[in-house]
Amino acid sequence: MLLEIRNLNKSYQDISLFENFNIEIKENTISCILGPSGCGKTTLLNIINGTINADSVELKGFENKVISYIFQEPRLLPWKTVKENISFVLNDTENKQGIIDRYIRLVDLEKFADYYPSKLSGGMKQRVSIARAFAYPSDIILMDEPLKALDYKLKFNLIKAFKRIWQFDKRTVVFVTHDIDEALLLGNEIFVFSKAPVSIKDKFSLMSSSSDVTLENPDMIDLKKKILTIMD
Amino acid sequence: MIKVFNKNRIITFFSTLLLIITWKVVSLIYQSEFILPSPESTLISTFKIILSEKFFPAIGLTVLRGIIGLAASFILGVGLGILAGTNETFNAFLKPILVTIRSTPVISLILLALIWFNVDMVPIFIAFLTMFPFICTNVIDGIRNVDKELVQMAKTYRISHSRIVREVYLPAITPFVFSGASSAMGFGWRAIIIGEVLSQPQFGIGTFMQSAQTFLLVNEVIAWTVIAVIISYIFEVIIRKIEQHIVVWN
Repeated sequence: MLLEIRNLNKSYQDISLFENFNIEIKENTISCILGPSGCGKTTLLNIINGTINADSVELKGFENKVISYIFQEPRLLPWKTVKENISFVLNDTENKQGIIDRYIRLVDLEKFADYYPSKLSGGMKQRVSIARAFAYPSDIILMDEPLKALDYKLKFNLIKAFKRIWQFDKRTVVFVTHDIDEALLLGNEIFVFSKAPVSIKDKFSLMSSSSDVTLENPDMIDLKKKILTIMD
Repeated sequence: MIKVFNKNRIITFFSTLLLIITWKVVSLIYQSEFILPSPESTLISTFKIILSEKFFPAIGLTVLRGIIGLAASFILGVGLGILAGTNETFNAFLKPILVTIRSTPVISLILLALIWFNVDMVPIFIAFLTMFPFICTNVIDGIRNVDKELVQMAKTYRISHSRIVREVYLPAITPFVFSGASSAMGFGWRAIIIGEVLSQPQFGIGTFMQSAQTFLLVNEVIAWTVIAVIISYIFEVIIRKIEQHIVVWN
Protein backbone atom coordinates (compact mmCIF):
# COMPACT_ATOMS: atom_id res chain seq x y z
CA MET A 1 0.00 0.00 0.00
CA LEU A 2 1.08 3.55 -0.71
CA LEU A 3 0.53 6.82 1.05
CA GLU A 4 0.41 9.57 -1.53
CA ILE A 5 0.82 13.30 -1.31
CA ARG A 6 -0.22 14.97 -4.57
CA ASN A 7 0.03 18.53 -5.82
CA LEU A 8 1.15 19.98 -2.54
CA ASN A 9 1.42 23.76 -2.49
CA LYS A 10 2.57 25.71 0.51
CA SER A 11 4.21 29.08 0.82
CA TYR A 12 5.10 31.37 3.70
CA GLN A 13 4.76 35.03 2.78
CA ASP A 14 6.87 35.25 -0.38
CA ILE A 15 8.81 32.03 0.09
CA SER A 16 7.39 29.09 -1.75
CA LEU A 17 8.28 25.82 0.00
CA PHE A 18 6.29 23.39 -2.11
CA GLU A 19 5.05 23.86 -5.68
CA ASN A 20 3.01 20.99 -7.11
CA PHE A 21 5.06 18.63 -5.00
CA ASN A 22 4.38 14.87 -5.13
CA ILE A 23 5.68 12.05 -2.97
CA GLU A 24 4.73 8.42 -2.46
CA ILE A 25 5.51 6.75 0.82
CA LYS A 26 5.45 2.97 1.17
CA GLU A 27 3.56 1.61 4.12
CA ASN A 28 5.40 -0.45 6.71
CA THR A 29 8.78 0.85 5.67
CA ILE A 30 11.10 3.50 7.04
CA SER A 31 11.27 6.39 4.61
CA CYS A 32 14.02 8.90 5.25
CA ILE A 33 13.75 12.41 3.96
CA LEU A 34 17.20 13.86 3.59
CA GLY A 35 17.55 17.52 2.80
CA PRO A 36 19.25 20.77 3.71
CA SER A 37 18.08 22.74 6.75
CA GLY A 38 15.11 24.97 6.11
CA CYS A 39 13.93 23.13 3.01
CA GLY A 40 10.51 22.44 4.52
CA LYS A 41 11.00 18.93 5.87
CA THR A 42 9.36 19.73 9.19
CA THR A 43 6.57 21.54 7.36
CA LEU A 44 5.90 18.38 5.36
CA LEU A 45 5.57 16.35 8.58
CA ASN A 46 3.26 18.95 10.07
CA ILE A 47 1.09 18.88 6.97
CA ILE A 48 0.83 15.08 7.24
CA ASN A 49 0.09 15.47 10.92
CA GLY A 50 -2.55 18.13 10.29
CA THR A 51 -0.98 20.80 12.53
CA ILE A 52 -0.21 22.99 9.50
CA ASN A 53 -2.64 23.54 6.66
CA ALA A 54 -1.32 23.34 3.13
CA ASP A 55 -2.43 25.94 0.58
CA SER A 56 -3.65 22.97 -1.44
CA VAL A 57 -2.98 19.25 -1.30
CA GLU A 58 -4.47 15.84 -2.06
CA LEU A 59 -3.70 13.21 0.52
CA LYS A 60 -4.36 9.60 -0.38
CA GLY A 61 -4.22 6.72 2.06
CA PHE A 62 -3.99 8.96 5.11
CA GLU A 63 -7.69 8.68 5.92
CA ASN A 64 -8.32 7.48 9.47
CA LYS A 65 -4.63 6.95 10.03
CA VAL A 66 -3.45 7.48 13.59
CA ILE A 67 -0.14 9.27 13.89
CA SER A 68 2.51 9.38 16.57
CA TYR A 69 5.31 11.88 16.52
CA ILE A 70 8.89 11.81 17.75
CA PHE A 71 9.99 15.40 18.08
CA GLN A 72 13.42 16.97 17.93
CA GLU A 73 13.23 17.40 21.71
CA PRO A 74 11.91 14.54 23.86
CA ARG A 75 8.91 16.63 25.02
CA LEU A 76 8.25 14.61 28.16
CA LEU A 77 6.05 15.98 30.91
CA PRO A 78 8.49 16.85 33.74
CA TRP A 79 5.90 15.98 36.42
CA LYS A 80 5.33 12.46 35.15
CA THR A 81 7.63 9.49 35.52
CA VAL A 82 8.82 7.46 32.52
CA LYS A 83 5.90 5.09 33.01
CA GLU A 84 3.37 7.89 33.46
CA ASN A 85 4.64 9.74 30.39
CA ILE A 86 3.90 6.71 28.24
CA SER A 87 0.63 6.05 30.04
CA PHE A 88 -0.37 9.68 29.33
CA VAL A 89 -0.89 9.03 25.60
CA LEU A 90 -2.70 5.70 26.02
CA ASN A 91 -6.40 5.12 26.43
CA ASP A 92 -7.56 3.02 29.34
CA THR A 93 -7.52 -0.47 27.91
CA GLU A 94 -7.18 -3.60 29.99
CA ASN A 95 -3.70 -4.29 28.72
CA LYS A 96 -2.40 -0.76 29.24
CA GLN A 97 0.13 -1.74 31.88
CA GLY A 98 1.42 -4.59 29.72
CA ILE A 99 1.95 -2.28 26.75
CA ILE A 100 3.79 0.27 28.86
CA ASP A 101 6.09 -2.37 30.39
CA ARG A 102 6.79 -3.93 27.01
CA TYR A 103 7.98 -0.75 25.36
CA ILE A 104 9.95 0.37 28.39
CA ARG A 105 11.73 -2.99 28.17
CA LEU A 106 12.34 -2.57 24.44
CA VAL A 107 14.15 0.74 25.01
CA ASP A 108 16.06 -0.74 27.95
CA LEU A 109 14.68 1.51 30.64
CA GLU A 110 13.10 -0.98 33.08
CA LYS A 111 15.31 0.27 35.89
CA PHE A 112 14.23 3.84 35.24
CA ALA A 113 10.49 3.28 34.83
CA ASP A 114 9.69 5.30 37.96
CA TYR A 115 12.21 8.09 37.36
CA TYR A 116 11.24 11.65 36.56
CA PRO A 117 12.70 13.04 33.29
CA SER A 118 14.94 15.49 35.19
CA LYS A 119 16.90 12.48 36.45
CA LEU A 120 17.48 11.04 32.94
CA SER A 121 20.16 11.82 30.36
CA GLY A 122 19.28 13.30 26.96
CA GLY A 123 19.57 9.93 25.23
CA MET A 124 17.37 8.21 27.80
CA LYS A 125 14.71 10.88 27.46
CA GLN A 126 14.68 10.44 23.69
CA ARG A 127 14.32 6.68 24.22
CA VAL A 128 11.22 7.35 26.33
CA SER A 129 9.88 9.49 23.51
CA ILE A 130 10.49 6.58 21.08
CA ALA A 131 8.75 4.15 23.45
CA ARG A 132 5.83 6.56 23.74
CA ALA A 133 5.49 6.79 19.95
CA PHE A 134 5.45 2.99 19.58
CA ALA A 135 3.20 2.38 22.58
CA TYR A 136 0.63 4.72 21.04
CA PRO A 137 -1.55 2.63 18.71
CA SER A 138 -0.55 4.52 15.58
CA ASP A 139 -0.28 3.58 11.93
CA ILE A 140 2.35 6.16 11.08
CA ILE A 141 5.30 7.43 13.10
CA LEU A 142 6.67 10.82 12.10
CA MET A 143 10.19 11.65 13.25
CA ASP A 144 11.61 15.14 13.07
CA GLU A 145 15.40 14.93 13.52
CA PRO A 146 15.07 13.29 16.93
CA LEU A 147 18.81 12.52 17.05
CA LYS A 148 19.99 16.04 16.32
CA ALA A 149 21.00 17.02 19.84
CA LEU A 150 22.79 13.78 20.68
CA ASP A 151 26.43 12.81 20.38
CA TYR A 152 27.67 10.23 17.90
CA LYS A 153 27.72 7.18 20.13
CA LEU A 154 24.28 7.84 21.59
CA LYS A 155 22.94 8.38 18.11
CA PHE A 156 24.05 4.91 17.00
CA ASN A 157 22.71 3.26 20.13
CA LEU A 158 19.40 4.96 19.61
CA ILE A 159 19.21 3.96 15.95
CA LYS A 160 19.87 0.38 17.01
CA ALA A 161 17.20 0.56 19.69
CA PHE A 162 14.77 2.03 17.18
CA LYS A 163 15.45 -0.66 14.58
CA ARG A 164 15.10 -3.39 17.17
CA ILE A 165 11.62 -2.21 18.08
CA TRP A 166 10.72 -1.69 14.47
CA GLN A 167 11.60 -5.31 13.63
CA PHE A 168 8.80 -6.39 15.98
CA ASP A 169 6.43 -3.72 14.98
CA LYS A 170 6.80 -2.56 11.39
CA ARG A 171 4.93 0.71 11.26
CA THR A 172 5.11 3.27 8.50
CA VAL A 173 7.88 5.63 9.51
CA VAL A 174 8.71 8.99 7.97
CA PHE A 175 12.05 10.14 9.29
CA VAL A 176 13.34 13.59 8.50
CA THR A 177 17.04 14.44 8.80
CA HIS A 178 19.90 16.39 7.29
CA ASP A 179 22.45 13.75 8.36
CA ILE A 180 23.38 11.21 5.64
CA ASP A 181 24.66 8.62 8.12
CA GLU A 182 21.39 8.61 10.01
CA ALA A 183 19.47 8.15 6.77
CA LEU A 184 21.73 5.30 5.62
CA LEU A 185 21.56 3.49 8.94
CA LEU A 186 17.84 3.80 9.41
CA GLY A 187 16.14 4.08 6.06
CA ASN A 188 14.61 1.50 3.77
CA GLU A 189 14.01 4.29 1.31
CA ILE A 190 15.89 7.54 1.11
CA PHE A 191 14.43 10.61 -0.57
CA VAL A 192 16.93 13.38 -1.26
CA PHE A 193 15.20 16.77 -1.17
CA SER A 194 16.41 19.94 -2.87
CA LYS A 195 16.29 23.44 -1.42
CA ALA A 196 12.92 25.20 -1.47
CA PRO A 197 10.79 25.02 -3.56
CA VAL A 198 11.29 21.35 -2.84
CA SER A 199 11.74 18.70 -5.47
CA ILE A 200 12.86 15.12 -5.00
CA LYS A 201 16.36 15.02 -6.44
CA ASP A 202 16.71 11.29 -6.17
CA LYS A 203 15.38 8.24 -4.39
CA PHE A 204 17.27 5.18 -3.14
CA SER A 205 16.06 1.86 -1.83
CA LEU A 206 18.13 -0.08 0.66
CA MET A 207 17.69 -3.80 0.78
CA SER A 208 18.85 -4.55 4.26
CA SER A 209 16.44 -3.77 7.01
CA SER A 210 18.22 -5.57 9.81
CA SER A 211 19.51 -3.76 12.84
CA ASP A 212 23.18 -4.46 12.06
CA VAL A 213 23.68 -2.18 9.09
CA THR A 214 27.16 -0.69 9.11
CA LEU A 215 28.52 2.29 7.30
CA GLU A 216 31.85 0.52 6.65
CA ASN A 217 30.30 -1.78 4.06
CA PRO A 218 31.69 -0.86 0.55
CA ASP A 219 28.19 -0.56 -0.95
CA MET A 220 27.31 1.90 1.76
CA ILE A 221 30.42 3.96 1.15
CA ASP A 222 29.57 4.14 -2.56
CA LEU A 223 26.01 5.10 -1.82
CA LYS A 224 27.10 7.77 0.60
CA LYS A 225 29.45 9.28 -2.02
CA LYS A 226 26.63 9.24 -4.56
CA ILE A 227 24.21 10.99 -2.21
CA LEU A 228 26.83 13.56 -1.24
CA THR A 229 27.33 14.52 -4.90
CA ILE A 230 23.59 14.83 -5.40
CA MET A 231 23.17 16.97 -2.32
CA ASP A 232 25.83 19.50 -3.36
CA MET B 1 25.67 22.43 50.40
CA ILE B 2 25.63 21.76 54.12
CA LYS B 3 28.46 24.24 54.58
CA VAL B 4 26.62 26.99 52.73
CA PHE B 5 23.50 26.24 54.74
CA ASN B 6 25.40 26.56 58.04
CA LYS B 7 27.07 29.74 56.92
CA ASN B 8 23.70 31.28 56.10
CA ARG B 9 22.38 30.26 59.49
CA ILE B 10 25.27 32.00 61.22
CA ILE B 11 24.67 35.16 59.19
CA THR B 12 20.96 35.05 60.04
CA PHE B 13 21.84 34.68 63.71
CA PHE B 14 24.17 37.70 63.65
CA SER B 15 21.75 39.94 61.80
CA THR B 16 19.04 39.09 64.35
CA LEU B 17 21.47 39.72 67.18
CA LEU B 18 22.43 43.10 65.69
CA LEU B 19 18.76 44.06 65.49
CA ILE B 20 18.21 43.22 69.17
CA ILE B 21 21.40 45.04 70.27
CA THR B 22 20.36 48.16 68.36
CA TRP B 23 16.94 47.95 69.99
CA LYS B 24 18.55 47.62 73.45
CA VAL B 25 20.89 50.58 72.86
CA VAL B 26 18.08 52.84 71.63
CA SER B 27 15.90 51.87 74.61
CA LEU B 28 18.80 52.71 76.95
CA ILE B 29 19.13 56.13 75.32
CA TYR B 30 15.43 56.97 75.73
CA GLN B 31 15.04 55.33 79.14
CA SER B 32 11.26 55.28 78.79
CA GLU B 33 8.87 52.33 78.70
CA PHE B 34 6.34 54.62 76.99
CA ILE B 35 8.55 55.29 73.99
CA LEU B 36 10.64 52.19 73.52
CA PRO B 37 10.63 49.42 76.11
CA SER B 38 13.72 47.22 76.42
CA PRO B 39 13.86 43.85 74.64
CA GLU B 40 13.67 42.03 78.03
CA SER B 41 10.51 43.75 79.16
CA THR B 42 8.98 43.11 75.75
CA LEU B 43 9.89 39.45 76.03
CA ILE B 44 8.24 39.33 79.45
CA SER B 45 5.07 40.95 78.14
CA THR B 46 5.11 38.54 75.19
CA PHE B 47 5.06 35.61 77.61
CA LYS B 48 2.40 37.33 79.72
CA ILE B 49 0.25 37.68 76.62
CA ILE B 50 0.83 34.07 75.61
CA LEU B 51 -0.25 32.92 79.06
CA SER B 52 -3.27 35.23 79.19
CA GLU B 53 -6.73 33.89 78.39
CA LYS B 54 -7.23 36.28 75.47
CA PHE B 55 -4.22 34.87 73.60
CA PHE B 56 -5.79 31.81 71.99
CA PRO B 57 -9.04 33.47 70.92
CA ALA B 58 -6.99 36.35 69.48
CA ILE B 59 -4.52 34.35 67.39
CA GLY B 60 -7.12 31.68 66.64
CA LEU B 61 -9.50 34.18 65.10
CA THR B 62 -6.77 36.12 63.29
CA VAL B 63 -5.42 32.89 61.82
CA LEU B 64 -8.94 31.76 60.92
CA ARG B 65 -9.53 35.04 59.08
CA GLY B 66 -6.24 34.54 57.26
CA ILE B 67 -7.13 31.01 56.24
CA ILE B 68 -10.60 31.98 55.03
CA GLY B 69 -9.12 34.90 53.07
CA LEU B 70 -6.41 32.73 51.57
CA ALA B 71 -8.80 29.90 50.70
CA ALA B 72 -11.18 32.30 48.94
CA SER B 73 -8.33 34.04 47.08
CA PHE B 74 -6.81 30.70 46.22
CA ILE B 75 -9.97 29.18 44.75
CA LEU B 76 -11.00 32.30 42.83
CA GLY B 77 -7.41 33.23 41.90
CA VAL B 78 -6.57 29.83 40.45
CA GLY B 79 -9.96 29.43 38.73
CA LEU B 80 -10.09 32.88 37.14
CA GLY B 81 -6.33 32.77 36.47
CA ILE B 82 -6.66 29.60 34.41
CA LEU B 83 -9.57 31.09 32.48
CA ALA B 84 -7.69 34.33 31.81
CA GLY B 85 -4.46 32.52 30.97
CA THR B 86 -6.09 30.32 28.36
CA ASN B 87 -8.59 32.83 27.00
CA GLU B 88 -7.44 36.22 25.68
CA THR B 89 -10.91 37.76 25.75
CA PHE B 90 -11.42 36.92 29.40
CA ASN B 91 -7.92 38.16 30.20
CA ALA B 92 -8.70 41.52 28.60
CA PHE B 93 -11.85 41.66 30.74
CA LEU B 94 -10.12 40.67 34.00
CA LYS B 95 -6.96 42.74 33.66
CA PRO B 96 -8.39 46.19 34.49
CA ILE B 97 -10.21 44.71 37.50
CA LEU B 98 -6.98 43.22 38.85
CA VAL B 99 -5.05 46.44 38.24
CA THR B 100 -7.71 48.48 40.02
CA ILE B 101 -7.76 46.21 43.07
CA ARG B 102 -3.98 46.14 43.26
CA SER B 103 -3.51 49.87 43.04
CA THR B 104 -6.29 50.86 45.45
CA PRO B 105 -4.79 51.87 48.82
CA VAL B 106 -5.59 49.30 51.50
CA ILE B 107 -6.92 52.03 53.77
CA SER B 108 -9.58 53.05 51.21
CA LEU B 109 -10.74 49.47 51.05
CA ILE B 110 -10.92 49.29 54.84
CA LEU B 111 -12.86 52.54 55.16
CA LEU B 112 -15.39 51.30 52.61
CA ALA B 113 -15.53 47.83 54.14
CA LEU B 114 -16.26 49.40 57.56
CA ILE B 115 -19.35 50.97 56.04
CA TRP B 116 -20.45 47.90 54.07
CA PHE B 117 -19.77 44.92 56.34
CA ASN B 118 -20.00 43.84 59.96
CA VAL B 119 -16.77 43.99 61.98
CA ASP B 120 -15.90 40.30 61.62
CA MET B 121 -16.13 40.41 57.86
CA VAL B 122 -13.93 43.48 57.35
CA PRO B 123 -10.50 41.83 57.89
CA ILE B 124 -11.47 38.83 55.75
CA PHE B 125 -12.68 41.08 52.96
CA ILE B 126 -9.45 43.10 53.08
CA ALA B 127 -7.33 39.96 53.19
CA PHE B 128 -9.15 38.61 50.17
CA LEU B 129 -8.69 41.79 48.15
CA THR B 130 -4.97 41.92 48.95
CA MET B 131 -4.24 38.26 48.24
CA PHE B 132 -6.52 37.50 45.30
CA PRO B 133 -4.78 39.67 42.67
CA PHE B 134 -1.38 38.21 43.62
CA ILE B 135 -2.45 34.63 43.17
CA CYS B 136 -4.48 35.37 40.07
CA THR B 137 -1.64 37.26 38.36
CA ASN B 138 0.82 34.50 39.18
CA VAL B 139 -1.48 31.86 37.74
CA ILE B 140 -1.90 33.89 34.53
CA ASP B 141 1.91 34.26 34.25
CA GLY B 142 2.28 30.55 34.96
CA ILE B 143 -0.11 29.60 32.16
CA ARG B 144 1.73 31.93 29.79
CA ASN B 145 4.94 30.12 30.69
CA VAL B 146 3.60 26.66 29.99
CA ASP B 147 5.82 25.01 27.41
CA LYS B 148 3.88 25.32 24.13
CA GLU B 149 5.77 22.33 22.77
CA LEU B 150 4.33 20.10 25.48
CA VAL B 151 0.84 21.30 24.63
CA GLN B 152 1.49 20.60 20.96
CA MET B 153 2.77 17.12 21.85
CA ALA B 154 -0.40 16.43 23.81
CA LYS B 155 -2.54 17.64 20.91
CA THR B 156 -0.61 15.48 18.45
CA TYR B 157 -1.42 12.48 20.62
CA ARG B 158 -5.07 13.60 20.62
CA ILE B 159 -5.33 14.17 24.35
CA SER B 160 -8.66 15.77 25.29
CA HIS B 161 -8.78 19.43 26.28
CA SER B 162 -9.81 18.65 29.85
CA ARG B 163 -6.89 16.26 30.30
CA ILE B 164 -4.50 18.84 28.84
CA VAL B 165 -5.73 21.33 31.45
CA ARG B 166 -5.46 18.81 34.30
CA GLU B 167 -2.25 17.04 33.35
CA VAL B 168 -0.26 19.68 31.47
CA TYR B 169 -1.40 23.16 32.57
CA LEU B 170 -2.17 22.49 36.24
CA PRO B 171 1.14 20.82 37.16
CA ALA B 172 3.03 23.43 35.14
CA ILE B 173 1.53 26.31 37.09
CA THR B 174 1.87 24.68 40.52
CA PRO B 175 5.22 26.36 41.36
CA PHE B 176 3.74 29.72 40.31
CA VAL B 177 0.67 29.16 42.49
CA PHE B 178 2.85 28.49 45.50
CA SER B 179 5.13 31.47 45.04
CA GLY B 180 1.99 33.58 44.54
CA ALA B 181 0.38 32.18 47.68
CA SER B 182 3.53 32.70 49.70
CA SER B 183 3.98 36.37 48.80
CA ALA B 184 0.22 36.95 49.03
CA MET B 185 0.20 35.55 52.56
CA GLY B 186 2.92 38.03 53.58
CA PHE B 187 0.76 40.96 52.50
CA GLY B 188 -2.39 39.23 53.68
CA TRP B 189 -1.38 39.14 57.37
CA ARG B 190 -0.57 42.82 57.39
CA ALA B 191 -3.91 43.62 55.78
CA ILE B 192 -5.82 41.45 58.26
CA ILE B 193 -4.18 43.10 61.25
CA ILE B 194 -4.80 46.60 59.90
CA GLY B 195 -8.39 45.53 59.31
CA GLU B 196 -8.68 44.29 62.90
CA VAL B 197 -7.15 47.48 64.32
CA LEU B 198 -9.73 49.60 62.55
CA SER B 199 -12.81 47.39 62.72
CA GLN B 200 -12.24 46.12 66.28
CA PRO B 201 -13.80 42.67 66.22
CA GLN B 202 -14.13 41.10 69.67
CA PHE B 203 -10.95 39.03 69.35
CA GLY B 204 -7.95 39.44 67.09
CA ILE B 205 -4.30 40.43 67.20
CA GLY B 206 -5.13 43.84 65.74
CA THR B 207 -7.91 44.40 68.29
CA PHE B 208 -5.54 43.92 71.23
CA MET B 209 -2.77 45.87 69.54
CA GLN B 210 -5.12 48.81 69.25
CA SER B 211 -6.20 48.63 72.92
CA ALA B 212 -2.55 48.34 74.04
CA GLN B 213 -1.72 51.42 72.00
CA THR B 214 -4.61 53.33 73.54
CA PHE B 215 -3.15 52.68 77.01
CA LEU B 216 0.40 53.48 75.79
CA LEU B 217 1.50 49.91 76.53
CA VAL B 218 4.27 50.04 73.94
CA ASN B 219 5.78 46.75 75.10
CA GLU B 220 2.46 45.00 74.46
CA VAL B 221 2.17 46.54 71.01
CA ILE B 222 5.62 45.19 70.16
CA ALA B 223 4.83 41.84 71.80
CA TRP B 224 1.74 41.38 69.59
CA THR B 225 3.87 42.41 66.61
CA VAL B 226 6.42 39.72 67.43
CA ILE B 227 3.59 37.18 67.66
CA ALA B 228 2.24 38.31 64.28
CA VAL B 229 5.68 37.98 62.71
CA ILE B 230 6.05 34.45 64.09
CA ILE B 231 2.62 33.42 62.76
CA SER B 232 3.46 34.82 59.35
CA TYR B 233 6.76 32.93 59.37
CA ILE B 234 5.10 29.66 60.40
CA PHE B 235 2.66 29.97 57.50
CA GLU B 236 5.48 30.67 55.06
CA VAL B 237 7.22 27.49 56.23
CA ILE B 238 3.99 25.48 55.96
CA ILE B 239 3.39 26.70 52.39
CA ARG B 240 6.95 25.83 51.44
CA LYS B 241 6.64 22.36 52.98
CA ILE B 242 3.42 21.69 51.10
CA GLU B 243 5.12 22.81 47.89
CA GLN B 244 8.05 20.44 48.45
CA HIS B 245 5.55 17.68 49.07
CA ILE B 246 3.66 18.34 45.82
CA VAL B 247 6.42 19.46 43.45
CA VAL B 248 8.48 16.27 43.67
CA TRP B 249 9.63 16.09 40.07
CA ASN B 250 12.53 18.55 40.11
